Amino acid sequence: MLRIISLVSLLMSTPLLFMSARYNYSYYGRVIHSSPGMTYVAYYNSATMGVPLQSPEDMTVFEDKVYVIDSQTHALTILDHDFSVLHHEHTFTFAPSLDKAAAGVEPEDEELTLFRPRGLDVRDSGIYICDTANHRIVKLDHDLRVVGVFHDIEDPTFETISFEPMKITVDSSERMYVVARNVYEGIVELGSEGEFNRFTGVNPLTPNPLEILRRSFMTEEQLAQLTLFLPTEYTNVHIDHRSFIYATSRPTGAAAENMIQLINPKGIDILVRNGYHPPMGDVHFIVGQNNYVVTGPSRLVSIVSTDHGIYTVLDQRRSRLFTYDAQGNLLYINGDEGAQSDRFSEGVAIAYFGDDILVLDRGTRTIVHYRPSEFGRAVNQAIAHQEVGEFEEASALWEDVLMMNSNYETAYNGLGRYHLRAGNYQEAMEYFRLGHDHYYYSKAFQLHRNNIIKDNFALIGAAALIVSGVFIGMKVRKTLKQGGTILYED
Amino acid sequence: MKTRLSRVWHHMFVFPKYLIFHPFDGFDEFKRYRKGKMWVALVYVALFAFYRIMAYQYESFLINPNDPLALNSLQEIFAVILLVMLFSVGNWSMTTLMEGKGSFREILKVTGYALFPLVLIGFIGLMLSNFLTLEEMGFYRLLLFIGYIASGWVLFMGILNIHEYGLFKTLMAFLLTFVAMGVMMFIGLLFFDLIQQFIAFIVAIYEELSLR
Repeated sequence: MLRIISLVSLLMSTPLLFMSARYNYSYYGRVIHSSPGMTYVAYYNSATMGVPLQSPEDMTVFEDKVYVIDSQTHALTILDHDFSVLHHEHTFTFAPSLDKAAAGVEPEDEELTLFRPRGLDVRDSGIYICDTANHRIVKLDHDLRVVGVFHDIEDPTFETISFEPMKITVDSSERMYVVARNVYEGIVELGSEGEFNRFTGVNPLTPNPLEILRRSFMTEEQLAQLTLFLPTEYTNVHIDHRSFIYATSRPTGAAAENMIQLINPKGIDILVRNGYHPPMGDVHFIVGQNNYVVTGPSRLVSIVSTDHGIYTVLDQRRSRLFTYDAQGNLLYINGDEGAQSDRFSEGVAIAYFGDDILVLDRGTRTIVHYRPSEFGRAVNQAIAHQEVGEFEEASALWEDVLMMNSNYETAYNGLGRYHLRAGNYQEAMEYFRLGHDHYYYSKAFQLHRNNIIKDNFALIGAAALIVSGVFIGMKVRKTLKQGGTILYED
Repeated sequence: MKTRLSRVWHHMFVFPKYLIFHPFDGFDEFKRYRKGKMWVALVYVALFAFYRIMAYQYESFLINPNDPLALNSLQEIFAVILLVMLFSVGNWSMTTLMEGKGSFREILKVTGYALFPLVLIGFIGLMLSNFLTLEEMGFYRLLLFIGYIASGWVLFMGILNIHEYGLFKTLMAFLLTFVAMGVMMFIGLLFFDLIQQFIAFIVAIYEELSLR
């Protein structure tokens, strides 16, 4: 009886198990089942932490401590590595070194408070907070004393609109990269003292000829009614150890392909897009009005990178995490929309906590903690080995990955790379065919073909001689038969 | 037996080849002495459809973006027949008005014969593509390009000769043929859409009545 009940309940819960996002996109763009790359560990909210969390906006991890900023309580919360509260601060004292006049604070003020902060970043040089509604960036040292307030940005852009910093990231030389509201010029780059340097990651607009033609027929009134054709609006930035900026932006019309960018110090997007599909969150989505499913491209709101060029983006629209490797291969998709403890409904920020991922959910005011599954760990390790050229170690891990998920096409390419190095060109070709890697298939095929030609050169040469001999012989026979001569005659 | 085989060889290969390199003489014989055979034209249309199916499946892995699970042979065959019929009917309807001397049968035959270089080069290229690396695929593309050019050449010269047109009139005829093909496709789509709506209407009425 118990067996029957457990069997029935298992059968009834099966659809629930399949509901969570355990899929990937195949080379041909089909949605295929995949093993989950991350599994749920725990959640942390006001109840577990003991401090109020009303509208958390941003989160970052620095030296195993979790920093959370809240736009309703206007507080900075710092959690220890076991997620107990270390600090929960509303007010910050000034460091003696701070020049209050230059910082734009009243001289008699003893403490500084935040107002609706939306973003933060923590580095060796200090804690940087986007004090959004106060139109300034506040820099704290690690004793939580104010060491800098940057409020007056010297650029013509901010003569017409107020400076509202939303997200911030800081590089090793203390340059600040700020995403500000209503700024379409790009990411604001500030020097270490808050002076304006430039806009970076600017995307010049190239309207297509059809659009120009269409617009040339329109009157002023019609043009005014058109939706503004605006360049990329960034949603989040994250700097990696090489001082390259990972940035996410809103999809602009049909161009959902460059929603994720990797901006080098020159301001150019250098993200590698060698995967089956460009990194853009969900590849397939329904466009247009629909009452039953969520429509439109992914709305990416946060991006973080970890070792070996692996990076993860957060899709707020469908509450999913997409993890890519440095080559742009989609490694795994995690997370799902929902109110259960392992799901989230309005993700705003993600952070790597060692190998784990923390997701900050504004909807349920929770931090959800995910850890790589056995499958995810094997994939990560295999990529780590492959990045440094240890193909043999990687191949063993890829074998494990394929045991767990034979749908995983990237793993076949990893095995192909190993066999190509080892000189097993035929096996390499077979694996590259399964993994649809045309470039390396071509390399393996060329080497395989060379081997065949080398081994059979005598045979091939003989065949060529015989064939040409037969042709010449037939021609000679025909000429002689018709009474001609094969000798040169004048 | 031998003579029959050599006759087939002559009709299938020697004469179409002659048409490529001697278009005026060739199409003169084609029309006046009825050397163009309908069965040859139809065989080449069929071979072209066969080539399209084969290319979908067996073109070199390196440049083949097609999903093998999405191959639909009937659809490929239908596409080829539709294209050939659209062109023939479009050209016939236009050249009839433009005092062309060719009949519908002749137009259909020219269209079939025009596929000869494409089918020949296409199958050779298909085999060759599987022995090339990614860098060498330029040769395959060049070969296919030559095939298309040759096919276009035979089609153009064929239409020019069987209608006894000059150069500019032929160009004009082609332009109008494409317009006619577009119009026919539009009317076809319109027709199917209306029929579909009409059938849906009938079905709706039937359901209304049967569910009462």
